[in-house]
Amino acid sequence: MMMVLAVFLPLIGAAVAGFFGRFLGDKGAQFVTCAAMGLSAVLAIPVFVDVALQHHAQTVTLFTWIDSGDLMVKWALKFDTLTAVMVLTVSLVSFMVHVYSVGYMHHDPSIPRFMAYLSLFTFFMLMLVTSDNLVQLFFGWEGVGVASYLLIGFWYERPSANAAAIKAFLVNRVGDFGFALGIFGVYVLFGTVHLDTIFAAAAGKANATLLFLGWELPAMTTLCLLLFIGAMGKSAQLGLHTWLPDAMEGPTPVSALIHAATMVTAGVFMVARLSPLFEQSETALMVVTIVGATTALFAATVGCVQNDIKRVIAYSTCSQLGYMFFACGVSAYSAGIFHLMTHAFFKALLFLGAGSVIHAMSDEQDIRRMGGIWKHVKVTWILMWIGNLALAGVPFFAGYFSKDLILEAAYGANSLVGQYSFWVGSLVAFLTAFYSWRLLILTFHGKPRADDHVMAHVHESPPVMIVPLIVLAIGAIFSGAVAYEMFVGHDREAFWGTAILVLKAHDSVEAAHHVPQWVKLLPVVAAVAGIVMAYIFYMLATGLPKAMATAFRPFYLFFLNKWYFDELYDFLFVRPAFWLGRGLWKGGDGAVIDGCGPDGIAAITRDVARRFGRMQTGFVYHYAFAMIVGAAVFVTWYMFNRVG
Amino acid sequence: MSLAMSDLTLALPELFLAGAAMLLLMLGVFRKEDSARVVLVLALLVLTVTLVLAYGVTPKTGRATSFGGLFLVDDFTRFAKVLVLVATAFTLAISRTWMEKEEIARFEYPVLVLFATLGMLMMISANDLMALYLGLETQSLALYVMAAYHRDNARSTESGLKYFVLGALASGLLLYGASLVYGFVGATNFETIAKALASHHAPQGLIIGLAFLVAGLAFKVAAVPFHMWTPDVYEGAPTPVTAFFAIGPKIAAFALLVRVLTGPFGPMVEAWQQLVVFLAAASMIVGAFAAIGQTNIKRLMAYSSIGHAGYALVGLAVGNREGISGLLLYLAIYLAMNLGTFGIILAMRVKGRAVEGISDLAGLARTSPMMALMLAVFMFSMAGIPPLAGFFGKLYVFLAAVNAGHIILALIGVLSSAVAAYYYLRIVKVMYFDEPAEALDRPIGPTLAVVLAGSLVFIVFFFLVPSPLVGGAEHAASVLFH
Amino acid sequence: MIIQGLVFYLFAALAIAGGVLVISAKNPVHSVLWLIVVFFNAAGLFLLQGAEFLAMVLVVVYVGAVAVLFLFVVMMLDINFVQLRQGFLHYLPSGALVGIVLLVELAVVLVGWAVSGEAPKSLAAPAPELAKMTNTEALGHILYTQYLYLFQASGVVLLIAMIGSILLTLRHRPGTRHQNISRQVDRHPKDTLEIRKVPSGGGI
Repeated sequence: MMMVLAVFLPLIGAAVAGFFGRFLGDKGAQFVTCAAMGLSAVLAIPVFVDVALQHHAQTVTLFTWIDSGDLMVKWALKFDTLTAVMVLTVSLVSFMVHVYSVGYMHHDPSIPRFMAYLSLFTFFMLMLVTSDNLVQLFFGWEGVGVASYLLIGFWYERPSANAAAIKAFLVNRVGDFGFALGIFGVYVLFGTVHLDTIFAAAAGKANATLLFLGWELPAMTTLCLLLFIGAMGKSAQLGLHTWLPDAMEGPTPVSALIHAATMVTAGVFMVARLSPLFEQSETALMVVTIVGATTALFAATVGCVQNDIKRVIAYSTCSQLGYMFFACGVSAYSAGIFHLMTHAFFKALLFLGAGSVIHAMSDEQDIRRMGGIWKHVKVTWILMWIGNLALAGVPFFAGYFSKDLILEAAYGANSLVGQYSFWVGSLVAFLTAFYSWRLLILTFHGKPRADDHVMAHVHESPPVMIVPLIVLAIGAIFSGAVAYEMFVGHDREAFWGTAILVLKAHDSVEAAHHVPQWVKLLPVVAAVAGIVMAYIFYMLATGLPKAMATAFRPFYLFFLNKWYFDELYDFLFVRPAFWLGRGLWKGGDGAVIDGCGPDGIAAITRDVARRFGRMQTGFVYHYAFAMIVGAAVFVTWYMFNRVG
Repeated sequence: MSLAMSDLTLALPELFLAGAAMLLLMLGVFRKEDSARVVLVLALLVLTVTLVLAYGVTPKTGRATSFGGLFLVDDFTRFAKVLVLVATAFTLAISRTWMEKEEIARFEYPVLVLFATLGMLMMISANDLMALYLGLETQSLALYVMAAYHRDNARSTESGLKYFVLGALASGLLLYGASLVYGFVGATNFETIAKALASHHAPQGLIIGLAFLVAGLAFKVAAVPFHMWTPDVYEGAPTPVTAFFAIGPKIAAFALLVRVLTGPFGPMVEAWQQLVVFLAAASMIVGAFAAIGQTNIKRLMAYSSIGHAGYALVGLAVGNREGISGLLLYLAIYLAMNLGTFGIILAMRVKGRAVEGISDLAGLARTSPMMALMLAVFMFSMAGIPPLAGFFGKLYVFLAAVNAGHIILALIGVLSSAVAAYYYLRIVKVMYFDEPAEALDRPIGPTLAVVLAGSLVFIVFFFLVPSPLVGGAEHAASVLFH
Repeated sequence: MIIQGLVFYLFAALAIAGGVLVISAKNPVHSVLWLIVVFFNAAGLFLLQGAEFLAMVLVVVYVGAVAVLFLFVVMMLDINFVQLRQGFLHYLPSGALVGIVLLVELAVVLVGWAVSGEAPKSLAAPAPELAKMTNTEALGHILYTQYLYLFQASGVVLLIAMIGSILLTLRHRPGTRHQNISRQVDRHPKDTLEIRKVPSGGGI
């Protein structure tokens, strides 16, 4: 009952706020959704204790959804450790964001709608992580997609917000197409979409093949890659990442909740959830690792040159997701989830902190026009420091534990891709620290670059925004240290139970504990180096960045333009699609189908109508003549058709 | 050949109506002050009494003639008379406000309505070619005058004149046909003709005579190609007169057409069927297409009525019991739909001035939502959208056509309904989606409101209790085929 | 019989010729005059059938009243017939075509009938025996008994026509001078006339 309530309370909150928002008013809607969300977060704690700590994994079946031939799908909530971790993280962060939104959105004219969307998103996210079959998973998956679309386009009067929402939706369609194909493939191979049944049968199908258009494909690899495409779309991995930076058009709490802490990690969750499948395909794991590592590098390089505070954090998110993926790729799923959890706290903190800054700076988002405001917003400043320390992986903050472990596991995997991801990951750690401090220094330190008018208005955010930040900051500081032993330490096998499957040969987390000392130290050194370099660049020798940008202009432009992905896609897909669409629309639909169909018939009808109209001349003798002709025709007819 | 009391009893409704009409005429003439309203109210009373009489006069054997076989009463005539009287009474009732606002209310109008109604009843009860003609002329003459009733209005006079000239031509065709029939059969009585045709081979001249006869009657139901007077007359005549024209006389003419074709010429069903199929198909097509370009709602209703005549003729073209009962049902539903629609048209006044453009209805949904809703229901019903009554009207005739193997006719009917739906729905579109024009005057008056509500209830809830009307129509049709 | 036949064809031919002239005459007054010729010939045809009452009624009513009324109307209204006729030639071919087609068809049917010889069989016997009473008596007999209904109905039709014509044309114009016949008749010479004896050479 507790579990069901924890999942469905946000839905109830969303429905009440969405349908009755007009009667409840802004305050009422805020109260209802926050209360429902808070209750859900509170309930998530005993659930976590029961399931994860006391190892009572269970499945709550609600009712049969589809029962058609061989296909049998039930609504069921599967609670194991993985789910419990996700539910706790999601509901807690979501609750914080709800509370924060009360302060952040208080100027907005449609607060009930916003709160309803936020709660609706949370419900779908909980649905996603608790699903016990692939179809229900897909339902949650698409549900969060819809909620994300609605929230990115929340300020629908802005064309850029609409464009970003559509872009997010369309790019996700590509991923979802792969995901759906993957689900179909699983059903073809296993004859069921029920997760536990699939996992039980997975080992036996390791060498199975699928026949597709005469090609014999290795079944597991194919399926895993298809499913991974879905994960790439949702988690903004290289190739399908283009929507994430644009998604920052949404309100900042949305960016924090959906595009940093929860939804974008759904891909990581999915890979971890389907670990029994991925473990059966070396190729798929390899692809996951390479894509993850490359994404981490790509996003970090781009993040170094961005100037929009939210975009920097967005690329940082993208980069951290890369970490999580290559952790999964080297079979360190628990490390990936560990990082997911810690990341949720500090990234939400960073985003909400950034929101607080934006709030303070009268909606200014460009860090080139900030600086020197730390004196005015001390609490925010401290919280942002904590967030960045965690992000950069400075020792004993949450990020330090999870990121170091990932890199160690990559090294410990003892494979070529593992080595690749380790070195790339270390470089990214350096870049991460660099852009984090670039952001911090440009935003808070140095001389103010904003105009006096803005500076005069800089003010600390109200408590309703600061308190959630403090809660998240506590998580960003301690969650790593507290959870380390459970997630990836000695207790990990008891903790995870059957939720994650790792083949003995792949156990990189175990290997991570036995890597050389320099491997353990390297990320910290890289982080410190990054911080120092940022300090030199932006505090001491402020002319240096410009000189560097001029000296390495091609690289600078390459990074600034996000590796030209948008331009490439525009050239490869968008324009041909528009061209094809226009062709089919004007030529195919307009000329052929409309021309022969609706328009043509309508034109003929109008023409006939006009002719009939012209017959009605208004002259009596015309009418009389028509009558006589009619009578004559009758008579003539009977002259030649003798009847009876 | 002496006059029996039973003769008079059978014709009691007609006798009462004639006498009352003349009394009211005298009242109007000799009363010093303006007596328009008094005469109108009394005329309504007269129509009500006549309705009761017409419903009450039932021959014991189910069928009886009087006046030497010239006058016939059976269940078919009862059904038709009730329809006609209901239509007349309601159209007369809703005319009052309009006439008074236009300042053309005169006592002659109700009197003419009564005489026209008398003509209709005589048409329905006609059992002889001569009785047929006289009934028709009684009705028509009153209608000609009514069309030109607004004598200071050029359009009204023009429409009256056009109607008169063309009506005279139609009468000529009809008389010519009747004389041919008389010449070839040697009798004018319907039963005698039927007997002669049943036993003899029909000579060709008779069929030609029938063709002329049908042409003359087709003019009265406004079937294509004898329809061309309708748009001009409907548009030009004062709106209450148009409303009157569109319903009562049409029902009477249909009853007469049905009687003539199934009675005396019943044995020649194969012969006239071809004519009626042509009339029905042409009317449906022209009614559907020609209405599309119209901007005047009265003119639109004229084409609409041509189309509806086509659908009703489908029932006649089938020529069996099922078809005729479908036709009668169609007429009854047509009555309600047109009554409602014309009720709205009569209420179309802007700042005291009557308007009749479709564009004047623009945005009615916002200025008077209730009226817009009602007109929308009427339009949907006319277009034949279930579950409104109009759908069932079409359903029954098309079903009869399909059952009798007239697939193509039914197909034309369905396709032309689709085309016709365009202009009906266009009105709905204009009311609901166009920028509001000037708001119509309100209130519309209690009489109009009651009539509108009644039509609405009938149309919307017909499908719940269709059996009384359907049963009545079936029974009325059955007496034609014994 | 031959003479009767000849007279029939004479009347018939004259009637048709008159009809053609009614519609082709340029002067409308001439048209009406030709119409009178048609009526006379039609009366003659009635007479040949032994329907002397109808023949006389035709002459009295149609020639004496209707046609004369027409004549007055045509003369008093200023109708420009030249203008009305402008479309005549334009419409003549199509009109003539339809007319001729109809005529030919009817001729074919009627001739076929006459030849077949079935006509007399279905002819009903005249209701009153014409040998026993005069034409007028016979008509009256039928009209007031068998066709009472029709007779009354005709009365109603005429009543409506009367109402209609009054309704459409009668206007009460204030200030117009009407002839009040009863007052005129009622007037006595002594009310209006004063006869004075004027003595000659006396002066007033």
